Amino acid sequence: MTSSNYPAFSRREMLKAASSGFGYLAFAGLAARAAEQSAASREGPLAPKQPHFPARAKHVIFLCMRGGPSHVDTFDYKPQLSAKSGAPGTRPGTKLLGSKWNFAQHGQSGLWISELFPNVANHADELCLLRSMQTDLPAHPQAFLQMHTGSFQFVRPSLGAWTLYGLGTGNENLPGFVTLTPPAASGGAQNYGSSFLPAIYQGTRIGSDNRPIASAEIRNLHSPLNPDVQRAELDLVQTLNRATLERDQFNPAVEGVIESYELAFRMQKEMPQVMDLSRETEATKTLYGLNNAATADFGHKCLLARRMVESGVRFVEVSHGDWDQHFNLSKALGANCASVDQPIAALLTDLKQRGLLKDTLVIWGGEFGRTPHAQGTDGRDHNNKAFSMWMAGGGVKGGFAHGLTDDYGYEAVEDKVRVPDLHATILHLLGLDHEKLTYNYAGRDFRLTDVKGNVVKEIIT
Amino acid sequence: MNRLLVLLPALAALSATVATAQTPPSSRSVPAIDEGFKRVDANKDAKLDAQEFARFIERSRSMSGANAGEVFGKLDTNKDGALTLEEFRGIMGLSRGSSAPSSPNPSPTPTTPQPASTQPAPAPRTAEKATTPESLAFFERKIRPVLADKCYKCHSSDADKVKGGLALDTREATRAGGDSGHAVVPGDVEASLLIKAIRYHDSDLAMPPEKSGGKLADDVIKDFETWVQFGAPDPREGESKAARKADTWTTAKEWWAWQLPKKSPAPKVNDAAWPRNDIDRFLLSALETKGLKPVGDADKLTLLRRVTFDLTGLPPTPQEVSAFYNDNSPDGFKKVVDRLLESRQFGEKFGRHWLDVARYAESTGKDINLAFPNAWRYRDYVIAAFNKDKPYDQFLREQLAGDLLPATNDKQRAEQLIATGFLAIGTKSVNQANARQFALDLADEQIDTVSQALLGVTAACARCHDHKFDPIPQSEYYSLAGIFLSTDTHYGTFFAAQNRSATQLIELPKAAAAPVLPLVLSPQQRQQKQAELDKLIQETNDLANATFKPKAGGERNPRGQLLLLFRMNQIGLLESELGSFGPDGKMRPLAMGVMDQPAQRKESQTRGRDTPRYENSTPDQAIASRYLERDGRFARPPEFRVVNESPVFERGDVNKPGEKVPRGFLSVLTHQPPPKLPATSSGRRELAEWMLSDGNPLTARVMVNRVWLWLFGQGLVNSPDNFGTTGGKPANQALLDTLAVKFRESGWSVKQLIREIVLSHAYQLSSTYEEKNFTADPENTLVWRMSKRRLDAEAIRDAMLAICGQLDLRPRLGSSIAEYGNGPIGQFQQYPDAGVPEDVLVEAGSRTAMRSVYLPIARELLPDALAVFDFAEPGFVTGSRETTNVPSQALYMLNSPFIASAAQKFAEHVISTYPAGASNNDAQRVQFAYGLVFSRSPSEAEQQAAADFFAKFPSTTNADATTAWTSFCRALFASAEFRFLN
Repeated sequence: MTSSNYPAFSRREMLKAASSGFGYLAFAGLAARAAEQSAASREGPLAPKQPHFPARAKHVIFLCMRGGPSHVDTFDYKPQLSAKSGAPGTRPGTKLLGSKWNFAQHGQSGLWISELFPNVANHADELCLLRSMQTDLPAHPQAFLQMHTGSFQFVRPSLGAWTLYGLGTGNENLPGFVTLTPPAASGGAQNYGSSFLPAIYQGTRIGSDNRPIASAEIRNLHSPLNPDVQRAELDLVQTLNRATLERDQFNPAVEGVIESYELAFRMQKEMPQVMDLSRETEATKTLYGLNNAATADFGHKCLLARRMVESGVRFVEVSHGDWDQHFNLSKALGANCASVDQPIAALLTDLKQRGLLKDTLVIWGGEFGRTPHAQGTDGRDHNNKAFSMWMAGGGVKGGFAHGLTDDYGYEAVEDKVRVPDLHATILHLLGLDHEKLTYNYAGRDFRLTDVKGNVVKEIIT
Repeated sequence: MNRLLVLLPALAALSATVATAQTPPSSRSVPAIDEGFKRVDANKDAKLDAQEFARFIERSRSMSGANAGEVFGKLDTNKDGALTLEEFRGIMGLSRGSSAPSSPNPSPTPTTPQPASTQPAPAPRTAEKATTPESLAFFERKIRPVLADKCYKCHSSDADKVKGGLALDTREATRAGGDSGHAVVPGDVEASLLIKAIRYHDSDLAMPPEKSGGKLADDVIKDFETWVQFGAPDPREGESKAARKADTWTTAKEWWAWQLPKKSPAPKVNDAAWPRNDIDRFLLSALETKGLKPVGDADKLTLLRRVTFDLTGLPPTPQEVSAFYNDNSPDGFKKVVDRLLESRQFGEKFGRHWLDVARYAESTGKDINLAFPNAWRYRDYVIAAFNKDKPYDQFLREQLAGDLLPATNDKQRAEQLIATGFLAIGTKSVNQANARQFALDLADEQIDTVSQALLGVTAACARCHDHKFDPIPQSEYYSLAGIFLSTDTHYGTFFAAQNRSATQLIELPKAAAAPVLPLVLSPQQRQQKQAELDKLIQETNDLANATFKPKAGGERNPRGQLLLLFRMNQIGLLESELGSFGPDGKMRPLAMGVMDQPAQRKESQTRGRDTPRYENSTPDQAIASRYLERDGRFARPPEFRVVNESPVFERGDVNKPGEKVPRGFLSVLTHQPPPKLPATSSGRRELAEWMLSDGNPLTARVMVNRVWLWLFGQGLVNSPDNFGTTGGKPANQALLDTLAVKFRESGWSVKQLIREIVLSHAYQLSSTYEEKNFTADPENTLVWRMSKRRLDAEAIRDAMLAICGQLDLRPRLGSSIAEYGNGPIGQFQQYPDAGVPEDVLVEAGSRTAMRSVYLPIARELLPDALAVFDFAEPGFVTGSRETTNVPSQALYMLNSPFIASAAQKFAEHVISTYPAGASNNDAQRVQFAYGLVFSRSPSEAEQQAAADFFAKFPSTTNADATTAWTSFCRALFASAEFRFLN
């Protein structure tokens, strides 16, 4: 194979081939600009931005319980349901199923919390319960997507991507939005995607559903080259990429490639340190339950979340599944709670003692709740009309319960909080006006909350 | 007054007998009605067309004022433009409050009334007129549609926000009203706030709001007043959700995808010179309607790179580039297309597309991830099918029912059996303790895959309840389930402590000479392993039987239980290993697939018992009995060991079987009498024929849309696996439908369809940005240019291997998972000497140079080289992959040993092609490298950038040069241009 059997092009042909007037001068100019940018890459798309108004929270940790945790067994105390257990439910042929777990009041605030969360209950006075959550559909993929992106009909940017777009990140050497072990189902990567927002805002996934976090790594984080040589190589890559972008005129995917390289380059140094738990004390590891098989995995994730927030990551999502207890409720729900309770309590304790809780909004919840009536003998079906979430830190009232469901937990009846309201509130706490956080795409300004969303002012301190 | 009220007495008279007899308005024969039908059916074709029906209205004295067209439209439920007698009988239904007269599948009527409202419904002020059939019909025709269209969005229990606390979707709720008071007071127009609101006099109350269309038409308002005056008859009892569903379904039945596709003549276009075929005429016409024009053509080399990657997943070789560049004949491009379609690489590329749809993988996934060591046979079947252009109808038929099709020889028989692997390779929870649950989950996975992959509908949504959005009743889900429950799925795996669901595989006929892995079990090995197994079984039998003996003193040793579990694994693995070799020591030709259950149950199967002997025993006895009865005789509940109908399981609960439903198909997709289902076989063959019949609106459309998506990057329908009402509408329905009908008429040839698309002008457009077009159609749904697309994971890897001269184009026999045989994915203590090591799977992409389609695909442990670039998630049907651009990809390109090695091989290839000489030959090398990676020459600017780069790495030795060139070559691989198709 030699060059003789390969067509050589004149410059004119080359320009024609590239379908644009891009020439040497432009190329040279770009190359210089690329070098400049790589030398001092500040003011990138991830640089910190001013919020619309003073923020109550600077970081978010979303503890996402995939599958729809049962609210009536955890955070929504329903004595009537227990009293009428076995009586006919509102749906024909169903029977009410009282919770198998006892509830008690906790803290000064006296919030009712089930015995499934003994450790979290110790933080009752930090918790802001949202007991009147509602979402549109009782189906996992739709509800999960709606919780993460506001829409299940269209591919839309995720909450984390909007947050990053609105605020940038505190540490440009780390991804601003990290998602730990997200599920591949229920919308998969859309749940941390950037859709029409620039690709750099999409979440960086670490690990996958059903695989232990300890075995998850960010692969290929270590360069075989010395940093200068690698930078020179990367400069060449970016020169080529910018030329491609120039020719394409408009190509968000190529922009995404360019930015992902810069971030990757910087991550090489800082990410291994964040992922490395060896510098944590034994006391901290024990606090998070790393020494216990039941709590080790989620404890590891929670500890990573704290380390990331501490290092400046804007939005961390931590997934746990599976909370879809159609049957085997008594065992499976118990086991789920046992595996997350201590780590979550540890996270709250740890954030607080490091002075991070006031700036960090911790959110707990899943995509919907479950029915007060039984499915089979030991299960509950999906319920989109009522579910519970809670928040802590970051400007929300502690020891506070917002909203009510009916006597059995079928449906939110007072102060309903729908997903767009939740999103508006989260953005509000971050100092962002959900109606002003827009992105113009295809001639229209898009919002996370579309045409909906009311900030739940009652829960804000 | 309006015409309908004039019509009402006539209907009432017609339906008098029915009303008093309390018979549902279905196909019940009423002499007067049937008589009338016969009288006007002038041409005696047992159908009334619109004219004949109009004559009926004319002749009927009391109905002469009615709008025949409107009534006809209501009665013609399947919208075929003719009324059958059954549809005609629905005329009675109009008077009985059924919104869908004589629907063949009436939606279940809610039976439980809504819990009493806090605000008691007021008694009518004037004596409420009795609810009569005619008044209910008035409600159905005039009131309900307006409520559903204009009000439910904000005023139903399923609304995003129930505004003002007012729901209008049940009678109770409507009368109770909302925050402001009673919406409807029967008989009292002035006291009914609903009337006040729609009259629009009071600006605080005025409804519907402007954004919903504002004030209703005056005659509609009059209708509402009339309705209230007559006592506001309202049949909407019970849960508002059920009421809403009926309304949703009525609208849903008119959804485009349920109607049969019709071929349209190619539209006239202004720019007659532009189109090269009918595809172009459809596309251009739509563009012209919007005042848009397609961009210019792609240049030759861009086009060659595009079509070569699209059809083979590989870059064009320099020779191919050169040949096409110098070929100025008018059919130069056509020759390229023909060459690519005839190459074996075509099947590897398009076969892989299908494997995404078929959720192909070589392990069970889920909680206990066990290998499928014979799944690769299905993979190879799919590749071969695309290569030989097996007609799609035959392809579909074989995958659903290959075991039931006639075969002229054993080779064909083997091929057809392997095809049914489609139904066997899905995810499975093999540790499921409830055999009935497992059987139903297995059928559910099959229904989910089959309905999404082949029909573009989400039928599995109807497992627990009627489909929320599409007209698929739960009973029809179980009609399909009956077909799959009457099917015996052979997916293999081995008996183990955590596997309660192992099955046998299908042994292919010897004469088919199906290829097998070249592994051998020598007679000595067999003897030794058999002896080992015999000894284990002897010991374990003792251990198991001991659990049933009276305790010899105190608690049983818990370690005994563990040992028993461990022995079960050992025995299962040994049995499966011995079973995979024939007496000649060679591997047996085993395949995954399905067969029918027997028509009649063999009593010997369970030796007269339906349940395991020790079901309700102590935990260790339960384990012991699982071991002792490990031949699988209880792995499936008895009712599913025979061709049988399935009960409807209430809310999908396996413990709540209801009425059995006959096996059958989805009525919303049935426009012709469906095939009869035989009592003696599962019905999969008939299922295939139903899908392939002219009366099925989706099968051809769905496949045409997939092929379009594989070539344009997005489908004409942008939700390729969901054509239901929650999916998208086609960007160009006339084009989609015409292609679909032609696809069927042309004998379902996929290659012919591809050829037509690729030879269209549209496919050959440049991907240039154009502002006006972009503003009007940013998603490029109208195809004003070629969309820029990222290469898929396989193409990125294969192209790098091809460029550095390492790609091994030979097809791979089997897969690395096959070499390890039965066992878990990963290696674990409890499975001694078994299991595929994780690194073999994750590192597979960098350890071999075979094409990516042959890499091992274990669920949860995909090859890193594929996972990093958004490989299809093999847990479910994937019609369209994600394309992300994330740092993990950047890190992979910069730092992975695989890229380093490929870049080095590439560098060595470049250097050896232009060895170091007296003069600097970097420019020639750059030229050569650019040609291989981008299929074009570098510009002067790019040559300069390369020179600048090499200036930073002065190379005095050969090793230095290789290092610098490795860096350069890696940069080319890492560039966005390499990864994208223009």
